[in-house]
Amino acid sequence: MASEQGAVAGLWRNAGEARAIDARLAIAADGTTSVTDEAGTVLAWGAFQGTTVSDRIGSIARKVTFPGGGVFETSDNDGIDRIMAPHSRGPAGFIHQLERFRPRLIAFVLATVLLGAAIYRYAVPLLVEVAVAVTPPAVSTLMSKGALASLDQTVFEPSKLDAERQKALSDGFAQLVALTDAPEPERTAYTLNFRAGGPIGPNAFALPDGTVVLTDELVKLAGQDDELILGVLGHEIGHVDHKHSLRQLYRAAGVTALIMLIGGDIGSGTEDIMVQGAALLSLSHSRDAESDADKFSVALMHKAGRDPAAIARFFELLRDKLGDHAEGNFLSSHPATPERIAETRRYAREITGSN
Amino acid sequence: MSSLQTPAGPSLAIRREAFSFTGSAREYFGIWIVNVLLTILTLGIYSAWAKVRRQRYFYGNTHLAGATFDYHALPWRILVGRIIVVTMLVIYNVVVNFFPVFGLVVFAIFLFAVPWFIMRGLRFNARVTSYRNVRFDFTGGYWGAFIAYIVGGALIYLSAGLLTPISSRWMWNYMLGNLRYGGRPIECDPRLGKLYGQMWLPAFILIGGGLLGVAIVIAIVIGAGFPEFDTTGSSGWSIAMTMIAVYGAMVPLFLIVLLAGLIYRAGVRNVVFNETVIDGRHMLASSVHRGRFAWISISNLFATLFTLGLARPWAAIRMASYMATVTALDTTGALDAYASDLKNAGTATGSEFLDVEGFDLGF
Repeated sequence: MASEQGAVAGLWRNAGEARAIDARLAIAADGTTSVTDEAGTVLAWGAFQGTTVSDRIGSIARKVTFPGGGVFETSDNDGIDRIMAPHSRGPAGFIHQLERFRPRLIAFVLATVLLGAAIYRYAVPLLVEVAVAVTPPAVSTLMSKGALASLDQTVFEPSKLDAERQKALSDGFAQLVALTDAPEPERTAYTLNFRAGGPIGPNAFALPDGTVVLTDELVKLAGQDDELILGVLGHEIGHVDHKHSLRQLYRAAGVTALIMLIGGDIGSGTEDIMVQGAALLSLSHSRDAESDADKFSVALMHKAGRDPAAIARFFELLRDKLGDHAEGNFLSSHPATPERIAETRRYAREITGSN
Repeated sequence: MSSLQTPAGPSLAIRREAFSFTGSAREYFGIWIVNVLLTILTLGIYSAWAKVRRQRYFYGNTHLAGATFDYHALPWRILVGRIIVVTMLVIYNVVVNFFPVFGLVVFAIFLFAVPWFIMRGLRFNARVTSYRNVRFDFTGGYWGAFIAYIVGGALIYLSAGLLTPISSRWMWNYMLGNLRYGGRPIECDPRLGKLYGQMWLPAFILIGGGLLGVAIVIAIVIGAGFPEFDTTGSSGWSIAMTMIAVYGAMVPLFLIVLLAGLIYRAGVRNVVFNETVIDGRHMLASSVHRGRFAWISISNLFATLFTLGLARPWAAIRMASYMATVTALDTTGALDAYASDLKNAGTATGSEFLDVEGFDLGF
């Protein structure tokens, strides 16, 4: 036998057997790995490359598994690392080296916090952009058709608005759409749909493919002021143009998935609390999207040669007729109405003043 | 350690072997922070490797009669399982958001899919776990999981919690009673009466705590008087006050529900383990002190939150140590007389692709 480079003491178990016997493992200079019992009888041997050595984790016992399934187990972590070092390829125990209790773990803590923040701030938005870019328009169309069909079955009734008014609003809507920067195929996908809102009352909303729904109740609330309604439609076109709903959907899914993936390391209680926290933060994104769409409406109405502050007048109507004076807080999905009035009026002045 | 040297004769004497846990917070802290750091750095991909290292650390430090447990899952298999779970999560979100009507259909599909995932998850976990070089196995089927988790879960809701012990009995009977060690069966048949015995204290805490909470909220509302609480409820000030009142009531309520749940869970574990027999001859024994268990859980949660997660390794080690000290095995025969069921060993490493830990197997 070639000369031994040292040996480690441990236990030997035959394949799948619980019974253990005291044994020693040695690796010869040529890589021949052998396990012998106390009497010197060879229990197993073979090339070191044919065995599997379990990774070093803390100070748990290491296992060397032979091709036949027999296992040599030892608690002598340093010993086994020393005798296998000349024969193992690559940086053995790299992860274990990182994990050792050293002052640099403080740097790891800081790196984790900074990286976590950076990923939330930069990588998640980037991934969201990628996901939005690769989502084929057909998916948006399918989603929107499904959403409208299910709302028609459950919530909406056909509109009772007269054809003349519908035509006037549709024409105004088409004029606004024509002024957006969207490429031709996306522009033709925009449709204005009239419905009796039922339980959702005076409302307007947009689906990702450009389907905009306007309820009779909102038209009634606006009286004869068509420009005011067009201001609201401009806001909805803004949501579609900036793909807000897809973005929010991908963002929520991405953040939840990330939290789930570290869930095993942080415990289920902390995981639940983080998911709640992420939901609160997503509301801030929702508020940003609303302000964004408000500004879009102001700019679009101005471009169309209409009153850029029409959307502000709509909010004033909400405030006066529905008594909406609420201050905003971190639990709202929309910014507060008084704030939106001030902000849209300010932006309307800015945009008209600059021309 | 000593039992290895002791030749275990065919005596019928009962010998108590205690579990012990030798992990340290200092050692685990390094493993944990590297796990979290690399998971974030790789946008979640490392989480599969992180899980294997974490599990191996905890299993490898759990000792029973001079031997340890081991975890043999391959990280890439866990990764595949996780990708499947994340994809399903995204699809579920899309459908629920954009097809509210189909949402119900999807919910029904999930209801029938969940037992399958639970079954596969339990089987995966059993097959990648070994003690003394001998693998566990899990032989539970789909309908057993359906009854234990879906019917059992519905039972809890429909009976407002009164039938919870029945559901606990089904779940544990399914989880432990279908486990095999070295091809030998494990029986787990906790008696319903004993499980009901564990319900009194948590029920008392829930009812007492709930009444106390309602009384306090009423006192605050009357005391503060909410002078400017206008009927439209839309003034900013009153919304803020309402929020404070809601959260002021929610946090203690959450703690009461948590406390009752923990106490029930600890009691049930004792009952269940004390009626679990391995291979017809070794009996599990559990003596969790319910108050101490609840204290450790709740103080762990707060320590983790107040240190922004940094105390988590210490908390996890503390809990594992406690659970090991209150667990034992009463043996009547040699523990090293077992061997892996070789017929099953092949499938154990061959066909498992799903590690479905996205579903919590708790109560």
